Amino acid sequence: MGISRRDLLKGAAVAGAAVAVVPDASARDKKEVHPEAVGMLFDSTLCVGCRACQSACKEANHLPPDAVQAANGGVYDAPVDLNATTKNVIKALPVGDGVQFMKQQCMHCVDPSCVSACMLGALHKEGEGTRAIAGEKKGSGIVLWDKYTCVGCRYCQIACAFNVPKFEWHEAFASIVKCELCSHRRDPKAKGALAVANPACCEVCPREAVIYGRRSELLAEAKRRVAADPRHYNPHVYGEKEGGGTQVLYLAAAGTTFEQLGLPALGPESAAHFSESVSHAPYVHGFTPIALYAGMAWVIRRNKRKEAIEREKEEGR
Amino acid sequence: MSAHAHPRPVGGRLLAFPMLPLLAIFGVAALVMAYRFVFGVGAVSNMTDGFTWGIWEPVNVIVFTGIGAGAFGVGILCYLLNQGKYHGLVRPAVLVGAICYTLGGSSIMVALGRYWNAIVLPIVPWWNLSSVLLEVAICVMAYICVLWIEVLPAVLDGAATSRWPRWQAFGRRWGPWLERRMPYIISLAIVLPTMHQSSLGGLLLLAETKVHPLWHTALLPTLFLVSCLTMGYGAVVVLVNVLRLGWNVQADQKLLANMSKVSAGLLFLYALLRVGDLAMNGKLGLVGADFFSLVFLVEMALFLVPAVMFLMPSVHRSRGKLFAAALLALAAGSIYRIDAYITVYRPGPGWDYFPSLGELTVTVGMAAIGMVVFILVSRLFPVVAVEGAREHSTVVGGAMKAAAGR
Repeated sequence: MGISRRDLLKGAAVAGAAVAVVPDASARDKKEVHPEAVGMLFDSTLCVGCRACQSACKEANHLPPDAVQAANGGVYDAPVDLNATTKNVIKALPVGDGVQFMKQQCMHCVDPSCVSACMLGALHKEGEGTRAIAGEKKGSGIVLWDKYTCVGCRYCQIACAFNVPKFEWHEAFASIVKCELCSHRRDPKAKGALAVANPACCEVCPREAVIYGRRSELLAEAKRRVAADPRHYNPHVYGEKEGGGTQVLYLAAAGTTFEQLGLPALGPESAAHFSESVSHAPYVHGFTPIALYAGMAWVIRRNKRKEAIEREKEEGR
Repeated sequence: MSAHAHPRPVGGRLLAFPMLPLLAIFGVAALVMAYRFVFGVGAVSNMTDGFTWGIWEPVNVIVFTGIGAGAFGVGILCYLLNQGKYHGLVRPAVLVGAICYTLGGSSIMVALGRYWNAIVLPIVPWWNLSSVLLEVAICVMAYICVLWIEVLPAVLDGAATSRWPRWQAFGRRWGPWLERRMPYIISLAIVLPTMHQSSLGGLLLLAETKVHPLWHTALLPTLFLVSCLTMGYGAVVVLVNVLRLGWNVQADQKLLANMSKVSAGLLFLYALLRVGDLAMNGKLGLVGADFFSLVFLVEMALFLVPAVMFLMPSVHRSRGKLFAAALLALAAGSIYRIDAYITVYRPGPGWDYFPSLGELTVTVGMAAIGMVVFILVSRLFPVVAVEGAREHSTVVGGAMKAAAGR
């Protein structure tokens, strides 16, 4: 049949090279917050629902209004949820007898599901993508979107527990739209966190219900507020540990749960860590597919050869 | 082998029924797709930011490739486990596989919001090796190529016995050449689906807050892998029986019954893994009197009923009963996949989904063009063995044996 053992090994090597690029195998390490990581702190007890942040966000990101026509003929920019023209939204949620205001935007997770999901690193932590992008510096932890590598598969939308990434459903050439923490508004000459990003929502908030800064400082501030007025606050800081931690942190009023504010109940393990550990384990650093291929090629070749011999015998008869 | 007729081109008029209706259906689907490329995905679908994949991924990719997994399943039996008696099933199964996977791949191109960027997918340094979807994309693209290579022996066999001397010489030259290299292709055709069929379940691992806990488990990849095999074997039995009715294609009931015993084992394995996993994780208590439990129980029944039927001698004897059991097995895997991606997928309050007419049209149109390709290829090339065509098939078979033996 003219195939030597050398050919067999050659074939296995070629196929091995083809599958060696398959994900690295180790149950992967937990991702920790970078010391320089930035984020936001939203204190729902301070928000009065003025929506100045919503307007500022649209202006800063050049987003068209989400026009709602009222019965009286007036037209309002009144988004009811995050969508392809709304990266930041204030919701009035009924809690108990009253209403609680809730701000929604990207959580900039410490270990984001969307980043784990994204095929070519279009959604990536700043400076940590697969494609080198000029001007990005590692460490901010901001989740950015790269229009050159996004194929619009929308797996990020399935992956995100907060339903943050949005898709332009009515565009022939659609984009994924989500908060990028106004990293385009950074001031390279400024000191500290403002050199990294400058979220318009935090800049305009009249009550400082949402503030921007280093995550470590924001977490300390959140804990300080809770400690200073424990009867006023839910003692928990949402985002410190949820889903492996988020860089946007939330405070709720005493007696209000974070689920009531629309935040999902998440364990301390990130979905990305769970998914990657399960998915990578059987590959054993890419060894399994290569071994499987080589083993099967050997068995199948032997079987075929046996069969050919039997057939020749049969024909000879 | 000798008792079996050899595959030969079915022949006949290429546009004979049901070609024209099938082409018409695809034509309508093509219009819907054209509309999508001008006005966006939202213009033809009910997809939302909550149900972002609609039915195009869950059905066109995840169910279609499950149907196409017959190539994977028969390949394992025939080549890896050396059950040569299944040889006759390889060609039709591989052709269906190649078609199903190609349809899945093309559907994705329609569904992708930024399809033009797919051109950069081969840039290896940009690959995010953590992405389960990347594994699926690369692996499926590679497997589509492998499947069409696996279709080639039928084409080259056809060429070898052709009346046109050039084409005949081509077939005689390259047929045996390819034959010698097939073991390396066939091994790929087993490794690749093992990888991406499990990844199709692995995709949902990330959606831990959205997929109902009765479905969300670390065993998702394993369950998808097993269910693709049960679907694949079911699809082969269904296919062979349909071909028998349509073209009087040889359908060896004993062989199909034998294969169905393998199916039975896999269906039981699936049920065992599914229930065992729920029990180990203390989730059995979640089964109660609600919608999700009902869906779960229907699913389990769909797996267990054909499993039991496949072991019954009366089913082995009856073409109709075996066909029905195979249909059930095919439905079981399909429903499991659709359930996990749509029925029990809960992105959050306020989201609801039912496919639009446009989406359904594209799915049905894709299936229609798949049938068109199957019919065309089988009419032109030796894919299936037709009963009562012994004399002619012996000639073809003789040539094929000679080619393979060289």
